[in-house]
Parts: sequence; C-alpha cells; structure tokens
Amino acid sequence: MRERRSIVGQLVKLRAGCLPALRAGKQPAAGYHPAPHRKGNLAAVAITLLLALALPAQTLDQAVALWKARQFKEANEAFLQLVDHAPANPDYKVRYGRMMLAYGRIGDAQDLFEKALTLKKDDAGAVLGLALIASDNFDSRAGDLAKKALELDPKLVEAQELIARIALEDNDNPKATAEAKKALAMDANSEGGRAILATIDLLADKPETAWDPHTAEGYETIGQFFVTNRRYEEGIKYFRKAIELDPQLYSARSKLGVNLMRLGQNDEAFQQLETCYNNHFQDAATRNSLKLMDTYSKFVTFTTPTTSLKLDKKEAELLRPYIQSEMERAMATYDKKYRMKLERPVQVEVYPNHEDFAVRTLGMPGLGALGVTFGYVVAMDSPSGRKPGTFHWASTLWHEMSHVYTLTATGHRVPRWFTEGLAVHEETAVSPDWGDRLSPEVIAAIKNKKLLPIAGLDRGFVHPTGPFQVVVSYFQAGRICDYINQKWGWDTLLAMLHDFGAGEDTVSVVRKELKIEPAEFDQRFVAYIEADTKNTVDHFDEWKKDLKSVVEKSIAKDWDAVIKEGTAIRDMYPEYVEEHSVYEMLAKAYVAKGDKAAAIAELVRYEKIGGRDPESLKLLSKMLAEAGRTVEAADALHRLNFIYPMDAAAHRSLGDLWLAQGNIKGAIREFAAVVARDPQDPAQAHFDLARAYHAAKQDGQAEDELLSALETAPGFRPAQKLLLELNATAVKN
Amino acid sequence: MRAAALLLLSAISMPAATFYVTIAGLGGEPDYVQRFKMWADDIDGSLKKAGGDSSVTTLNAPHLEQIRTRFAELSRQAKPADALVVMLIGHGTYDGHDYKFNIPGPDLTATELAALLDRVPAQRQLVVNMTSCSGGSIEQLRRANRIVIAATRTGSERNATNFARYFAEALREPAADTDKNESVSALEAFRYAQTKTTEFFDTQKRLATEHSVIEDTGKGSGERAATAENGEGKLAAAFTVVRLGANAAAARDPSKRPLLDKKEQLEQAIEKLKFEKAAMPVQEYKRQLTQLLLELARTQEAIDK
Repeated sequence: MRERRSIVGQLVKLRAGCLPALRAGKQPAAGYHPAPHRKGNLAAVAITLLLALALPAQTLDQAVALWKARQFKEANEAFLQLVDHAPANPDYKVRYGRMMLAYGRIGDAQDLFEKALTLKKDDAGAVLGLALIASDNFDSRAGDLAKKALELDPKLVEAQELIARIALEDNDNPKATAEAKKALAMDANSEGGRAILATIDLLADKPETAWDPHTAEGYETIGQFFVTNRRYEEGIKYFRKAIELDPQLYSARSKLGVNLMRLGQNDEAFQQLETCYNNHFQDAATRNSLKLMDTYSKFVTFTTPTTSLKLDKKEAELLRPYIQSEMERAMATYDKKYRMKLERPVQVEVYPNHEDFAVRTLGMPGLGALGVTFGYVVAMDSPSGRKPGTFHWASTLWHEMSHVYTLTATGHRVPRWFTEGLAVHEETAVSPDWGDRLSPEVIAAIKNKKLLPIAGLDRGFVHPTGPFQVVVSYFQAGRICDYINQKWGWDTLLAMLHDFGAGEDTVSVVRKELKIEPAEFDQRFVAYIEADTKNTVDHFDEWKKDLKSVVEKSIAKDWDAVIKEGTAIRDMYPEYVEEHSVYEMLAKAYVAKGDKAAAIAELVRYEKIGGRDPESLKLLSKMLAEAGRTVEAADALHRLNFIYPMDAAAHRSLGDLWLAQGNIKGAIREFAAVVARDPQDPAQAHFDLARAYHAAKQDGQAEDELLSALETAPGFRPAQKLLLELNATAVKN
Repeated sequence: MRAAALLLLSAISMPAATFYVTIAGLGGEPDYVQRFKMWADDIDGSLKKAGGDSSVTTLNAPHLEQIRTRFAELSRQAKPADALVVMLIGHGTYDGHDYKFNIPGPDLTATELAALLDRVPAQRQLVVNMTSCSGGSIEQLRRANRIVIAATRTGSERNATNFARYFAEALREPAADTDKNESVSALEAFRYAQTKTTEFFDTQKRLATEHSVIEDTGKGSGERAATAENGEGKLAAAFTVVRLGANAAAARDPSKRPLLDKKEQLEQAIEKLKFEKAAMPVQEYKRQLTQLLLELARTQEAIDK
C-alpha cells in the first residue's frame, strides 16, 4: 500500500507548481529507478504545468476524452480539477479511479473507489472498481463484489463480464459460457462477453471461434487466460495481437514484456517494459521487472547441450556442481518415467534474493512459492535465500522439473491440480524423506472434511477461500496422484496426462481412465486419506497440548520428564519435524543424560522422516562418526547438501568422511565447496582439496591447491609436507 | 605474510608473561547469566590449556571492588615487557558520554577501566570489550600500544551481542589461525569472531544488531576491517592472544638460530614475491613461489628435527 498511495499526491504537487515536487512527480513510487533519459524534459513539463494552471475546470467528458486519447498527464490534470471542484461527486472519483486502474496505479484507484463509496455507499461503479482490483489479485471476494455491483446496477455489463471471467478462471466452462452469454444479452457488443466465449473455444484448441472479439482489450483477455493456463507462448501471441491493434494498450504490452521475461527472452522483454514505463504505465509488475533486469549482470549462465543454469556470481562456484547434477539426475529419471525427451535445454534460474525470484515470476514481490516453471524455464529460490532448514532446494528443483515434463507432454493443457499433484508425488518418489510433511493445516482440513472434490480441485489453487487452502490443495493433489499410482499404476497416471494433453477435462479423464465417477473417486480417496492419517488426526489435539508441556520441560532441562512425555507423544504425530520436534528434544535429553545411542536413534528417526534442521543433522553426523558409523555419518551430511549446502564446516566434515571411505570424487566436490565458500580458513580449505586431488592421483591440481594454501600460510606444516612429497615424486618420475 | 614475519619477531622477543583477566558481567536473566558464564569459562579453559608463561584470572559477576583489587595486584606483578589481555563479556550501556559495564553494585565505567589499565606497567595491552554498547568505550580506552576490540561500532548498538561466543571459539579453534603459525593473534581472533557473527545474522535472516570494530592506532574510533589504508591492525597482527601449538620452543633454542634466520628470510622473500604478483606472468610467479615454498618447507623440516 505504501507504494500505491503516492502517485496522486505527487501529481497534486506537480500542479501546484513546486519545481522540486515536479521532479519528484516524475519519479516512480518505489522500486525501479529510471535511467537518466527516462526522467523527461523538465522544461516541457513546466510548460504543461503552466498550461494546466491556466486551464479552467474540465468537464468529465473532456477528462475521459484525454484519457482515451492516452494523454495521461493531461487527463490526470483534468480529473484532479474535477474532483477538486466537486469533491462530493462520486462519479468523478470512479471515472478517475478507472483511469488509474488502466494505468496500473492500483493503490490510487483503490483509494478513489473507496472515497467514492464513502460519498455514496451503493455506487455500483465504485463497487465494480473494487471487484476489478480484487479480480486482478485473484482475491476470492471479486465474485461477491461483482455480484453486488450488478445488483446495484442490473445494466452494468462489465460486472456481468467479470462474473463470467471469474467462472472461467475456476475452469468452470459451462458457468463461464452462461455468464458470458448473459453479458451479451445485456449488450450485444459486450467485448468481455465475446472475449470469454472466444477464450473457451481457443483454450479447447478450436482453430476458429465465432466470438473473436477483434479488439485489443479482447485479445488481452484471451492472452491472459492462456498465461493463467500456463500456455505462455500462446498468451504472448495474443498480447502481440492486442498491441498490434492498439500500440498504446500498455497493460497488454506490459503483460507481453513480463511473459517474455518469464520465457527468458529478456532483450525484447526489456524493450516492451521500458516502452510502458516511458509512457506512464508504471504498475508494480512493470517497475519491478525492469529493476530486476537491471541486476542480471550479477548472474552467470552455465550451459550444457541439455541444460542452462543461471546463478548469482557470488554463489555460482559453490552451487553449480550440486544443482547441475540434480538437474541431470532429474532429467534422466523423468525421461524414463514420462517416456519422452525434451526438445530444448531446460533453463534453471536460482535467485538468492527471494524478492527477485518473486518479481521474476509474478512481476510482484511477496510470492510465497519456492519455485515456478514457465515451460522450459524454471525459476527458484536459492538455498541461501531462505533460513537454513526451511527449504529443501533439491525437492523444489525436482518438483519444478517435473512441471517441465508435464507441461511439455500436454502442450500446457494439463490442469493445475494434476501437474502440481504429479510434481508433489515426484518429490517423495525420488526420496521418501524429501517433500513436505503432513502439516497442521492439512490435518485440520482432513479433520474438518475440507478437502475439495477432484473436479473442483483447481479452485483450491486459483481462488483459494482461505490462507491455507493452497497448501492443503498441494497436499491433496499430491496424495491423489500417490493414490492413483498405488491403485491404478503409473501407466494410468501417464494415460491421464495424455488425455489432458488431448484437451479432455478432469471429469471425463477420471471416468475414462479410472472407470469411476468423480464423486465415487472422491469418496474412495477420502476414505484412503482418512485411514492413512487416522492416527495423527485422532491424536492431534492431545499431541498439541502435550507438546507444549514437553517444550517447557526441555527448557527447564527436566530431561527425565522430556524422555517420558516425549516418548509418549512422539508417534502420535510422527511427521512433525519442524521447530521443537519431539525427536530433537528427546535427542537433546538423551545427550544430557549421556545416552548417546538413544540420542542417535532419535535423530536417525528425525532424519529418515524428513527432519531438515542443519544443526540437528550435523549433530547426528558427529555422533554417528564418534560411534564409528561413518557411512551413516556421511549420509546425514549428504542429505544436508540437498537442504542447506552453504555450510562450509559441513562440507569439510563430509569431505573428510568420504576421503577416508575412498569416495574421492565426492571428497573433491565437498572440499571444492569449502574453497568456493570464501572460507574462514583458506589455507586449510585449499590443503584439504589438495589432499583429495592427491588421493585421486591428480597431482597437478593438488600442487595448485597446495600453492594456494601455502601462499596464504607459508608455515602451514601439513601442506609443506605434502608439497615436499609431491616434489619428491615428481623428481623420481 | 608481513603479519607472519611480525609474529615471528614477536615470538623471538616474547614478553616475559601475559596476564589475562576475563570478566563476565551481570546477566540479568537466567539465560544471559548462563551464557556469559559459559563463554567466560570457555575462554578460561582455552587460556589455561595453552599454558606458557601466563596468569589467567576469570571473574564471574564480580563487584567493582573485586575488579579494582585484581588490577591493583596486576599493577604490582606486571613488568613493562609483559602483556595484558582484558576481556569483558556481558551487557553494557552508553549514555552519550561514558560507557558502563554492568556488574553487581556500581558499574565499571570505561573511564575507570582506562585508569586501571594505565596503572598496569605491561606496555602491550589488548582490551576486548564484547558487550552491548561497547563501541562507546573506545574513546576512553584507546591509547598508544593498546589494542581495543569492541563488539559494537558505537555506543548506540544496544542489543545483547553474540561476538563473545565466537571470540571464545577463536581461542580454541584451529581455523582461526589463518596463517597456520600455531598461535592466534588478536587480529586473527577479531576477524574470526567478526566473520562468524556476520554469518550468524546472515543465516538467521536477521538484521545485524552488532558490528564489531578494532582500534590499535591509539587515535581512531574503530574500524570494521583492518587495512593498510586505515592503518589499523598492525599491533593486533603481532599480538599473540593464545598459542595452539609448541612453536615457541624452537625460538628459544640457540642452535636453531641460523635456520630461523633463513626461515625469516624466505618468508620475507615470499612476501615480496606476492607483492610483485600482479606484474608477473602467472607461470613465472608460480615457478618462483614453488621454489621458495619448497625451500621454506625444507628449512622448517630441519627446524623440527
């Protein structure tokens, strides 16, 4: 909100003729800071200012005419005069708000609509304005607001169009068709109604549609629906058609730019977005995307014939070996599972700053997701961008890479629930401890019977009714795919995928491949999931209450009580591995009591079920190594690499373990990671790497590393000894 | 390398003794009481384990009078050639004029601490003030031949600090000994603790509330990094806080003197070569460096025999 409110205020200052304010008025509200040439000509603005001061109050028609003529500054002046001269007129505010909305000034638009409603609480136009803003944000209130606007003004065709649009966003084609036809009944020229009907035809791959809107805004709507359905290239095609008809439709041009950026076509994306910016279309997505592209020089790209990996330079050397190898492993696995070969290299972009990732994917900061796939392009958070232990980067990568396959296999026609379901299924298919655990939100949804029917599961992703419905929908979709895989087999899941690719919807695919009605499937699935989670769901409240007591006992260091009470509740909710997990508290208690074997047993349980806290995994590894269980000790640290590979001490320990176990290649990778981490102790780091190279009989590289170690610390005796040894060997040979 | 050479010289001209005084202040809450004592004990253990000619005193939540008494003893015991290391752990406050170290009863002000330090004849002094607001004590504590390390840049960084945890770690952790001469200098310990503190805030995704600084010119206000440009760190690089190995033994053996001289020359030659690195072809630099390092390794082997 703080970004959104400033523009109107700044333009008011501009009209007041204050030159410093005039300069401020040319700046964006926040985020993107323009290059000098974008600042415009101060003298020209000053002339406009003088003209504006000389102008008498405008009429609404004049203001709207200036807006429609895309003379933003002049239109803004006219609207300001109107609202100044008639502050009690809600219509002026609503029209002004609509212009602001058209220029992406969402916050200002919202202010104006809300002010209009304070003047006239039943203003249909203002309610519609708020409905449009809610719709842009996929806010579930949009539908109710649109209905309210229509009740207030039954002739408000835009409200009816919005209702149709929301139905289509929910993939409810029959309802969307009916609602769009109502809009056309209200106004035979309803552009929105035609666009919705055309979209339904085009998304179903009909070569032609009788409802082609033949307007720029209509094509923008169609383009947006293709994007919502992850069919980015087709979306881009329609945005291009839109700006061909109306080059000044900057909302469409901005969407074109954002989606070109999503597909990695950055040069054109930058041009399109900069054109929008220079023409006063400066919504947050446009500004933030431009700002992000300004930072691309900080990234470096590594390519192979099948992959392209883009990493921040400051962590590229460290992360590349880990991410590259997982990309290749995932592709080899998916090639077999999905029985297909990708036609182009997959591009993975890894962002250490989560807000950059969010802008990269949505054009807006604040995204809760960890990774997003756009066809062959995957963007995701870096493990350095999240608090250690809260993010399993490898699981996220495998999840997103599976989308590349399912989107490609279906020409992007796969419904959201199915592609997410398969992706979640793949997380635990690669390793049972990967993937997200059964969370309290999911337990509550199962207990309260809030799971959605399979035919309407997409709604849980697109228009969630509550803050946790997306999380629950991911879980449900994943478990549906697990269930189908278990009962019908992988071939059935593949057949469903291909049916979706052929344009069939969920209801018909369920009937065709599972040979049951969707309602029957829902019943069976709910029975399956309830049986599977019964222990945890039944004991959840008890566990929650008792956990509090165990935490208190742990803080008080009452170890005997922790062991007694913790052991009693541990298996009530075995999947809980987050903060204050029972496993970790029990391990701590056992360590304090000197029972290392029991502590190890708890932490092994924690590890196997998906515990991710780096300190606990490091502790487990240390205790296992001390107990002589060095293979398991190495395994614990190897798992940690998939969660938080930024810890130099863990890499060093793993390198030592692997070197001792003869996994020389692994040891080289681990010691190289320490070197790449700009270590606290560079001499030791280079020396360790030299040892590993020497063990691999790569003495040239070993010598290079030794020189680096001794350059830092010439008196480092172990390195001196190895240097003498290498020299003696070289002399002999 | 220059630091290494200086360290070698300092090892040769070792002070007669090093006096250590570690004070854990008032914790206030049980968690801090426990934490401060734990860190002070950690330091105490490392210093006692290192042995050598040293006197280690650790005071846990002392009253001002106990501190004055200990410093009065030090004034009598220490000689000009000795070294003094004072480490403060706990909470501090700063009122814009003077810093106060929180202890039971009246607090210890930076002004009084400076006066107590001034009365100790040991000419080489290190004060590591690891409390909140410790940056506010630099002005009073700084003096020629005294190194002052503070956990916070200014007196206005008021949050409880983590620096002490990592400074204590530096005194027992071989990784802190970056030049691998088997002793940890004040500069190495400072850098280690600073890096670890920064990592702590980075990994926890928390805004850093402490920014440690070092001052050893006697006139500065404390710098985040010791560089040639700001002149900080020269004293600290040559001030050994704790020994991790037995490298002092050779220095005391007159028969090893020629080898030690040769070692010093080689180290200086390596330092010079590194200085010329940018202007040399890579292969030539590598060849010359290898030659010098091999010679140094052989010399060290002879010293160790």
